[in-house]
This record gives sequence, structure tokens and C-alpha cells, in this order.
Amino acid sequence: MTSLSPIATKVAELRRVFDQERAAPSSPGAQEQAENLLAIRVSRDAYAIKVSEISGLATGRKIVAFPSPISELLGMASIRGALVPVYSLAELLGYSAEAGQVRWLALCGTGEPFALAFSDFEGYVRVPRAHLYSAGQKAATRTFVTHVARATSVVRAVVSIPLIREAIQERCGNSSVPKER
Amino acid sequence: MWTFGRKIAAGFTLAFLLLLGIGAVSYRSITTLTSTSQLVTHTHRVLEHIAEVLSLLKDAETGQRGYIISGDEAFLEPYQVGTSTVHTVVKELRELTSDNPNQQKRIDEAEPLIAAKLAELKQTIDLRRKANLEETMKIVRSGEGKKYMDNLRMILAQMEREERDLLKQRADEVESASSGAKSTIIYGTAFCLVFVMAAGFFITRSLSGQIGAAVRHVQSSSAELQSAANQQASGAKESSTAMNEITTTISELLATSRQIAESARRVAHVAEETSSAARSGDTTVQKSHESVNSIKRQVDLIVTHMLDLGKKSQQIGGILEIINELAEQTNILAINATIEASGAGDAGKRFAVVADEIRKLADRVGGSTKEIRALIEEIRAAVNTTVMATESGSKAVDLGARQFVEVTAALKQITELLGTTTAAAREIELSTKQQATAVEQVNVAVSNVAKAAKETEVSSGQTLQTAGQLAGLSRDLTRLIQATASA
Repeated sequence: MTSLSPIATKVAELRRVFDQERAAPSSPGAQEQAENLLAIRVSRDAYAIKVSEISGLATGRKIVAFPSPISELLGMASIRGALVPVYSLAELLGYSAEAGQVRWLALCGTGEPFALAFSDFEGYVRVPRAHLYSAGQKAATRTFVTHVARATSVVRAVVSIPLIREAIQERCGNSSVPKER
Repeated sequence: MWTFGRKIAAGFTLAFLLLLGIGAVSYRSITTLTSTSQLVTHTHRVLEHIAEVLSLLKDAETGQRGYIISGDEAFLEPYQVGTSTVHTVVKELRELTSDNPNQQKRIDEAEPLIAAKLAELKQTIDLRRKANLEETMKIVRSGEGKKYMDNLRMILAQMEREERDLLKQRADEVESASSGAKSTIIYGTAFCLVFVMAAGFFITRSLSGQIGAAVRHVQSSSAELQSAANQQASGAKESSTAMNEITTTISELLATSRQIAESARRVAHVAEETSSAARSGDTTVQKSHESVNSIKRQVDLIVTHMLDLGKKSQQIGGILEIINELAEQTNILAINATIEASGAGDAGKRFAVVADEIRKLADRVGGSTKEIRALIEEIRAAVNTTVMATESGSKAVDLGARQFVEVTAALKQITELLGTTTAAAREIELSTKQQATAVEQVNVAVSNVAKAAKETEVSSGQTLQTAGQLAGLSRDLTRLIQATASA
């Protein structure tokens, strides 16, 4: 029983936090002052994606590869009933192709959606905007990074989905792709 | 080859025989001489008696004449002596000449004449006393007395001549006997001397040669004996020293044997106690074996339970995977809900809050799931470790059980061996006691031998001294022989 007591304590803690957060009044200002980020890993490097720049998150989807001159294009996947091209975020960021299975897909856009595939999803973090710092355009791997964020004692490069979309559009030669958020 | 003794005996025997012959001849000559001398003496006595008879008659006649002339009685003393003695002398003369018939015959002739003469003398003396001088003178002048005396003188002269002849004859015999004895003594002695000298020369030469060789041999032998005695003395001394050392060593050996006997007795005692302890240990091991079997059953039960626990924890892990998957899906849904809510503008804000809550809850569930997974992994690891440890314990118990059987057999063997050890220790104790007794006897014997060695040492010294004396004697003998040889 003594070995179970920490679990019971944990359960009580969870219950307490849940009840407390449910009981606390909502503060819209605080929501607006913070930025929601998805903490991910690309080739062991810490990155983040702004939740506001994606339209969904999926996992475990089958990616059907097909021939393409775009090396970053992994194939097509079915997300929410629609076929979406899936690009390798690692290759887009200048890394070599990831060895393991890329099971996480970040769905971007709604009109002409595409998905960015990455291997590791570490969690959902909320970072105050004050902790978002603008990043310089110095390195090639930093082409799609506009900010860096310090979250849970880890500094992460925040990948800009609009810049990636522009890059994909440039590579596909489709300038008619509407700009989305 | 004749021996020294035989040679010397032969020489001395011959010399003795020669001396005996010389002695016999000398004895015979001396005996003859003695007997002849006795006869001569006898003859001289006969001559003296003849002369005495005549002298006594003369004395008696002288006394008679003096008395007749003087009338004095004093002149009658010779007469009285002669008349009283003459018969005795005649008697002796007859006895002295008893072996001579001629002389006896003459004495027979002389005795009446003597008696007649004495009667004539007595008659004249008696007449003179009667103072009849004339008558007396008449008788004297008749020459009767003279005739008696002349006849007597003639007879006595004959006797004297015969005795003188005998004396001469016996003197010749004495001379002949003494001459023979002298010749025998001189020639026999000379011959004997020559023989003794020759025998001495030959024996001496023979003895000098043989004794010299023998003496040289004795010298060399005495030198060898001296050397041997020296060696024997040194050997006896070394033996005596060695025997003393052996005696000391045997004494130490005796003490050691006694200690061994005592140790063997203690070993036997300890072996008996150990045997008793081993039997007790056997009983204890039997009990322990039963306890180990019970432990083995309990361990098997524990292993079964732990395997069940492992399976259950695996099932929990599977359930936890489902929960984790659900939490992850919930998290994804919450994130998507948040995204959708943020796209819904103000109407979605409250939904966004709910979705955020759900996402947080899913996050916490995921975190808790990770913790629970970690705990489950720890439990599984602990269970695996416990199972492995329990299986190891079970194997150890199995091994222990088998080893208990081996230990039981070993204890039984130890008990048997201890019995054998006890018997062996007692035999060792007995043997060591016998050995100690034997060593004591050996010690006594060695002491005797040491004593004998000491005596041998003393005897060797005496032998050495004797050898030295023998060497000196042989040198002296050599000198004697050489001196004799040189002489």
C-alpha cells in the first residue's frame, strides 16, 4: 500500500489542479499575452511550431509516396478525409532525411493544405510572448526560423510555417497559392 | 722341520744324557773311591789295633819290669792299663778282621800267647810282691816271657804285613778309581762342553735366523698393531663420542615418541569427539535437508507468484499503453480542438479554454502514464530481478539440497573415516608406546655400547701401550739377537 500512496497522491494532485483550473476565472488577457507552441524535435534539435500557424495535428497516418522532383515531398496522406501532400520538415530545414519513422504530421492551411512530417512531438507549451525573441537570418538552417522561444528551460527555434509555405510554393512554381495565416 | 723347543729339548737331552753318563761314571768312581777309602781306613784301624796290641803288651811288660826292679806299685800303672785294655783291643781287632780268615787265624794264634804273656807278667809281679825277687828274676831270666813276646811280634808282624799288602792294594784301587773318575770327568766334561758349544752354536745360529725373522715380523706386526691400536683408539673415541651423541639423540627421540604418543592419544580423543559431532551434524543436516526441501517448495511457490506478478505487470503495461495511447489521442484531439477553437473567433474561445483543459489533462495523464510506466518498468524489472534471484535461489536451494545429500554422504564418510582415524590413532598411540619402550631398550643398549666403546677406548690405550712395549721388546730382542750374532 505504501508503494501505491505516491500514485494516490498523484491522482489527488491531478484532481486538485484540474478542479483549481476549472474553478479559477478565465483571464482573456493572459490568453492573448501568451503564444501556444508545439514542442518538437527535428534530428534531435529542439524546434517549435506556433499552434496558430497550423490547422491540425495528426499521427500514425499512412504516407503514400509518389515520384516527384521535390525531394522534400514524402508523399500523400489522408487527413480529415482529404489527401494532403506531406513534406519532410527535416529536409526542409536542411537536415538529411530522418532515419526513423516520421509519425507526426502538422497540417498547415485549409485551402491548399499540406502537412509537415517530423519524428518527435514533445508536447504543447505556452510561452509568454515576452519570451519570444526575433532570430537573425544567418544560417541556412535558420531560413524558416523567425523567432526563438525559451520554454521549460529549453531554447527552441520557432519554425515559421508561412515561410515554409512560400518556399514550397516557390519550388512547386505555383504562385497562385493564396497566403494563409 | 724341527721346532725351537724340539731343537732345544734335543740339545738339552743330549747334554743331559752326557752329563748323566759323566755323573754316573763319576758317581761309580767316587763310590768305589769312597768304599776303597773306607777299606783303607779300615786297614789303618786294623794296623792301629795291631800296633796297639803290641804297645799294650810292651806297656804291661814295661810296668812289670819297672815294678820288679823298683818294687814300686806306681810302675804297675802301664801294666794295669795294658792288661785291662789288651783283650778289648784284641776283641775289636777280631771284629775288624772278621772278613779275613787269615787274620782270624793269626789272632787265634796270638790270643794264647797274649794270655800266656799276661800270665807270666802276673806271675812275676805277684812274686815280686811277695818279695821273692830271686824267684822272680829266675822266671824273667828263663826267657819264657821273651819267647811269648817274640812269637807275638812275629804274628803281629805277619798281620801287619798282610794289612800293609791290603793297604797297598787298596791304595792302587783308589788310585785307579780316582784316575778313572778324573778321566771320565775331564774327557766327559770336555766332550760335553764341545757338544754343548756345538749345539749352542747351531741352535743359536738357527734361533738367531728364525727368531730374527720372527722378531722382525713381530716388529712389523707390533708397528701395525700400534697403528691399528691407534686407529682403534681413535675409532673407539669417535665411537664413544658418537654413542654419546646417539644416546642424546635417542633420549630426544624417546621424548618425541612420548609426545607423539600423547598427541596420538589426544588425536584419538579429538577424533572420537569429532565423530560424535559428525553424527550430531548428520542429524542436523538431515533436519536442515528437510528444512531446505520446505524452503525449496516455498521458493517454487514464490517463483510461481512472482511469475504471475510479472504477467500481471505485463498486462498492466499493456493497459497502460492503451491509456497512454488514449492520452496521446486525447492530447492530439485537444490540440486540434484548440486550433479549431482559435479559428472560430470569439465563439470558440470558451471552447478553446475547455480544449486547453482537456489537453492539459491529457498531458498530465500522459505524464502520469509515463511515471506509471516507469514504475511498472521498475516493478517489472524488480519482478524480473526477483524472479531471477528466486530462480537462482531455487537453483541454489536445489544445489543446496543436492549438496546436503552430498554433505550427508560426506558426513557419513567423515564418520567412517573418523572411526578409521580413531583406530589408526590408537594404533599409532600403541605403536608409539611400543616404539618408546623399544627406544628405551635401545637407549639402554646404546648406553651399554657407549660403555663398551669407552672400555674399548681404554682397552685400545692399553693395547697401544702393550704394542709400544712389544715394539720395545722386539727392539731389545733384535739388539740381543744382533749382539749374539755379532758375538
